[in-house]
Amino acid sequence: MLIPTVPETKPIKLSVRNMAFSYGQKKVLDGLSMDIHAERVTAIIGPSGCGKSTFLKCFNRIHEVSSAVNVSGDMKIDGVDIYRGGIDEVDLRRRVGMVFQKPNPFPKSIYENVAFGPRLFGVSDRTTLDGLVEDALRKAALWDEVKDRLKESATGMSGGQQQRLCIARALAVNPEVLLMDEPCSALDPIATAKIEDLITELKESLTIVIVTHNMQQAARVSDYTAFFWLGKLVEMDLTERIFTTPRVQMTEDYITGRFG
Amino acid sequence: MPDVLETSLTAVPANGVGGSLADGPSAPPAAAESPAFRHSRLRRLTDRWAHLAFLTCSLLVVGLIGGILFFLASRGLAAFWPAAGNTGRALSLSEVFLSADWSPSSDRFGILPFIAGSLGVTGLALLIAAPTGTLTAVFIAKMAPPWMRNLMRQVMDLLVGIPSVVYGIFGLTVVLPLVSHTWLADAPASGFAVSAVILAVMIVPTIVSLSTDAFESLPSSLDEGAQALGSSRWQAIWHVLIPAARPRLLTAAVLGLGRAIGEAMAVQMVIGNNPQWIALMRESTDRAPFLRALFTPAATLTTELVQELPNTAAGSTWNNVLFAMGLLLYLLTMVLILATRRLGRGKEA
Amino acid sequence: MRAMPVFRRSRSSKLVDRLMRGVLWSIAILFVVVLILFVGAILKQGWPVLNLSFLTKMPETLDAGGGIKPQIFNSIYLVVLSLGLSLPVGLGAGVYMAEYAGKGRTLNFLRLCIETLAATPSIVLALFGMIVFVQAMGWSFSIRSGALTLALLNIPVITRVTEVSLLGVPRELKEASYGLGATKLQTILKVALPYAATGILTGLVLTAGRAFGESAILVFTAGTNASAHFPDFRLTVPGETLSVHLWYVTSDGTLPDAREIAAGTAAVMIIVLLSLNLLVRLVDRIIRRRTR
Repeated sequence: MLIPTVPETKPIKLSVRNMAFSYGQKKVLDGLSMDIHAERVTAIIGPSGCGKSTFLKCFNRIHEVSSAVNVSGDMKIDGVDIYRGGIDEVDLRRRVGMVFQKPNPFPKSIYENVAFGPRLFGVSDRTTLDGLVEDALRKAALWDEVKDRLKESATGMSGGQQQRLCIARALAVNPEVLLMDEPCSALDPIATAKIEDLITELKESLTIVIVTHNMQQAARVSDYTAFFWLGKLVEMDLTERIFTTPRVQMTEDYITGRFG
Repeated sequence: MPDVLETSLTAVPANGVGGSLADGPSAPPAAAESPAFRHSRLRRLTDRWAHLAFLTCSLLVVGLIGGILFFLASRGLAAFWPAAGNTGRALSLSEVFLSADWSPSSDRFGILPFIAGSLGVTGLALLIAAPTGTLTAVFIAKMAPPWMRNLMRQVMDLLVGIPSVVYGIFGLTVVLPLVSHTWLADAPASGFAVSAVILAVMIVPTIVSLSTDAFESLPSSLDEGAQALGSSRWQAIWHVLIPAARPRLLTAAVLGLGRAIGEAMAVQMVIGNNPQWIALMRESTDRAPFLRALFTPAATLTTELVQELPNTAAGSTWNNVLFAMGLLLYLLTMVLILATRRLGRGKEA
Repeated sequence: MRAMPVFRRSRSSKLVDRLMRGVLWSIAILFVVVLILFVGAILKQGWPVLNLSFLTKMPETLDAGGGIKPQIFNSIYLVVLSLGLSLPVGLGAGVYMAEYAGKGRTLNFLRLCIETLAATPSIVLALFGMIVFVQAMGWSFSIRSGALTLALLNIPVITRVTEVSLLGVPRELKEASYGLGATKLQTILKVALPYAATGILTGLVLTAGRAFGESAILVFTAGTNASAHFPDFRLTVPGETLSVHLWYVTSDGTLPDAREIAAGTAAVMIIVLLSLNLLVRLVDRIIRRRTR
């Protein structure tokens, strides 16, 4: 479908072709195709219930955890099919990290939260772990705030800190892609600004896909924006074009607040 | 009383007293002369009486807790401080609680064998039931497909509904013959092992039901968060879900323990009822020590009560000591319940 | 920044995952098998004994061939009496906790008491009943001693069920009732309790099942003898129930066919409890269909 035609220097990281998703008998997503480039931020916007979160969760197959689902069509990471390419879903989730709508730190210490991922993959050497934890916390711009209380419980932090901790936790296993599902919807404006700054820094080395209901946020942080409506991709383009000269009337109506 | 309610309810809309939403239960003064006012006063009076009645029911429960303690103490403590009219002599606390010599006919009342027996058999039962129960709960909450989940719920409902005596007869007629006269036990296999297995099956439903609730009440974001980092199903359960649910899992185990320690009939039917079990265990040397420990006929606080209470005269020392054992069981229950409270508070902190 | 190690899923983690899935499935299946074996064994042992004469004959004291007619009657009679005694108290306390106690120390303390009473071993309740009803009141081993003590076992269960069911009543429903000018009592009696009735009813059936199977309490309060008259509704006679009978013939050992009688009695009890369980399920399904 509508794939941007501007010159793009970054390679395609994730590609989706004619993808459909159903949950039991109910079809939630249909006929989706798009390319997501490495080291870019791609925002997905649309009214609630349009399937944008579901779409995001297809990239790391996390929806398989709780229910039986059916995905058809192609979804590829670096050209290898996510569902049929023989990828181990655990390995996939290591490569494709995720940050959730509500911060979900484990009821453990700050340190243990970040060390959780590396430990899963067999890192047990204390100095290596210490280094990984510090790096991840630095990348998430949290190190200076928590370096003196790494042993304290993560559930005692503020909401914004918790969310940055969750980002650090995801970064600690060196993912290639970071999926963010409305990461600021539970946060105040100051915490939101910090996360947005962080996204801009992180895209230096990561592919980021962010679902958001906040159009200003999409405009501020993303390079590409995709507009979803009723389980279909209406339009996808460079963010500045989507917000200035959309090609589809419905997109314009949505971003100018006429519906949704 | 129902009549009053009936008329007052029908009278209200007819007089328009309670007609508007803002009025609420009290009538405006303007309606002072109307019959509805009389009704509303009556209504308020019945309301107050009802409140009192409900309160009385609650106080009755509180009173029961105290009443049980009082009556059990009045008889149990008489073993140490005999009241007038008691035929027994005063025992010292140490010759009851610190002695393993139970021979009432020679006036020796050491209840250590029963305390040890109760602890042994419930400990063993918990050792079996707590891990299997917790794992079954996590299976039901986080792994089983819906049909299996339903099946397991029904199985647990049925297991909890089976009466103790039926568990007892099953142990007596099915399990005991299975292990008696084998390499495990040279004689009838009464003792800790069979009792503990039966007890474990009896308390598993309690542990499963409370633990399943504990796992289901965890936010699903924890599970998703763990798996999004690359946890396998089991790693998420072991490293995140079980630690997060730990206080409630422990509460479930403690309540299971409480059920096990108080169970009387089923254990009485299979344990062998031998107050001299400690001596017997020491004497016989023909088998490996752990087999002796598991298959020597023994006794617990509850089984000894069932066994001997009907044969003792009220007011005798023997009878009083048995009531003291009952009192001990009751105090244990209270301690366990308070322990679950403690655990619950730990969760909130 | 340090170099990132290569994260690769270890073989062992995959293996452990497979293994533990297997272990969990096996444990669950084990319990299903245990239940099937259990019920199967009890029914198989009891089947040859179960016939009309076993159910309708009076028991023998020394000879073989006795029946369990009075025990069946006593079981039902005691369950009904004890429920009748505990229902008002349990309902009242449940209503108080859900609707009047508020949220605070009082409620916490009441909950603590209910939990303690619920966790009190039945042998301890038996001792209490023995002291108070059998000895102090001078009622000896009788239906009334048994029914009153058995009621103590039911009260915490009914209270809890009532409280939970009432807490499940939607607040809007109660507010609507208040809005129409109903008093608190009217709201409870005409709106909340009817709404919660199905939950309470289910709880009652389960309580009945528990009382039906109880033995420790009744051995020491209702006694191990059954009246020679039938049906004997007097509250002053001893009332041996099925579960007590099962225990008594097994441990007493004077009857030559004690084994068969115990097996038959166990089978009857299992059948009754399975039927009760089925009834609860059926009622639950019908109600769910109707509310849908």
